[in-house]
Formats: sequence, C-alpha cells, structure tokens
Amino acid sequence: MRFVRSQKSPGGEHPFVFHISKREKVVLLSTLRLYPLLDASYHQLSRDPKTAGRAEQEWLEEAMEQQRQDQKKKLDQFFGNDRLFFKDGKGELQLTLTGEQLEWLLRVLNEIRVGSWVRLGRPEMEAARKLQLSSEQAHFLASMELSGYFQAALLEAFG
Amino acid sequence: MAEIAAPVAPPDTEKKEKTDPKETPDRGYLVICWNDPVNLMDYVTHVFQTVFGWPKAKAEHHMLQVHETGKSLLVRETFEKAEHYVHQLQSYGLHATMEREE
Repeated sequence: MRFVRSQKSPGGEHPFVFHISKREKVVLLSTLRLYPLLDASYHQLSRDPKTAGRAEQEWLEEAMEQQRQDQKKKLDQFFGNDRLFFKDGKGELQLTLTGEQLEWLLRVLNEIRVGSWVRLGRPEMEAARKLQLSSEQAHFLASMELSGYFQAALLEAFG
Repeated sequence: MAEIAAPVAPPDTEKKEKTDPKETPDRGYLVICWNDPVNLMDYVTHVFQTVFGWPKAKAEHHMLQVHETGKSLLVRETFEKAEHYVHQLQSYGLHATMEREE
C-alpha cells in the first residue's frame, strides 16, 4: 500500500488516494476486524494516585470505552462502504479517504497495534520477534506488524 | 453626541485582581508522554501536531525526547486542562499521564 496523491474534489474536500493491492485489501480488512483489542483498564490518568482520584480515573476509562464503541460503529460502516475501494483506469485498486476517515483509520490501526503488543506481554520490539510464540501470540505479532505497516502507509499522506 | 463614561472600578475590586493568589490558576500539573516501544515515531509526531497544534519541528523535538530519554514534558497546565490533554493523547493510544509538579 502506498500514498498516491491528495486531490481536491468538487465538494471542496481533499480526498487522500492510496494504491492498494487486492491482497493488501484483504489483509487490511481482516486486521481491522480485530478491533477492539484494548480494554479500559489499560488507560492510566496519573502514575501518582495523589494527583488524580478514583473518580477522575473512572471518567477516563468511561471516556475511552465510549470512544471504542463509537469507533466500532464507524468501523462497521467502513466495512459496508464499497465506494472507498475502486479500480482506476489501469485496473489497479485504490483506497480513497477523506481527511477525517484517514485520521480515524490511523487511530483504529494504532489501537490494534498497541492492543496486540499488550497481548504479547508488552515486549521490546526486537525481543518480540525472537519470542517462542504460541499460535495465538503469533497471530498478535502479525497484527501488530501489519497494523504498523498500514499506519506507515497512511502517514505518508502527511509528508 | 453622547459621551461614553469611562468605567470606574471600585477600589477594592482593582486591588483584589492584583493581589489575591486565589485568582491565579494553579498551572502546576504536568502532562508527560512516556516512551513505549510500540507507537511509531511518525505517528507520535502527528498526534502532537494534532492535539497541541504544534508545528512539525516542535512535535518532532518532543517525540525524539520521548524516544531518547524515556519521557517528555509536553505542557504545564491547570488540573482540568491537563486532564483534557491526557484524555486526548490516550484516545490516540499514546502513553501519557498528568503529574503534580513538585
């Protein structure tokens, strides 16, 4: 997957266009289906319990959980939106995203990456690649690497 | 043409604005981003730009500080604003917390 261009549409938006192979599309969608992988307890408002109380910590957890539910709804819409993927004149597949969709997809992929890393036991990157992995852990190592791959491609759009 | 009278503040009000420490917001809360091995460097830079509206050079400076020293002090703020920023940064998946300045 690679960034192709940002173009102005008649509606005034600037869609971001990415070239994506058919295989990458399949992998991207299967990676996104893993969402959500983090739970509310991952989030910590402060390292010092004197700085923020229980109520503030609970508020953070509730806010993150609400966001997760909203992201999941958008993800369901994303899966049902065939217009995002289309073939160009050469028959190559392209993914077109608005700026808002691009931001959203980056966040979802990042949470999948972080969630996969947490499920691997939060290893250092090099250590993760040398772990003796169970099949489940191998699955999370793959999703961590793949979500990072797609994030890097999306970030190219910001220069 | 009617004259506009200059506003006159009661003497005690003016004095209070200058001297009462209770009127000064407590900006003793630090928003800190901690290093982790999983968030991509370019992504962290992008999040700093988005959340704080920083130019890329400043965002990269803080990202590198996180990467090289383990943490970066991003802003010093009131409790409410610091809490807001931590919510924002955590919603992007960054490892950020607020800490009381000692």
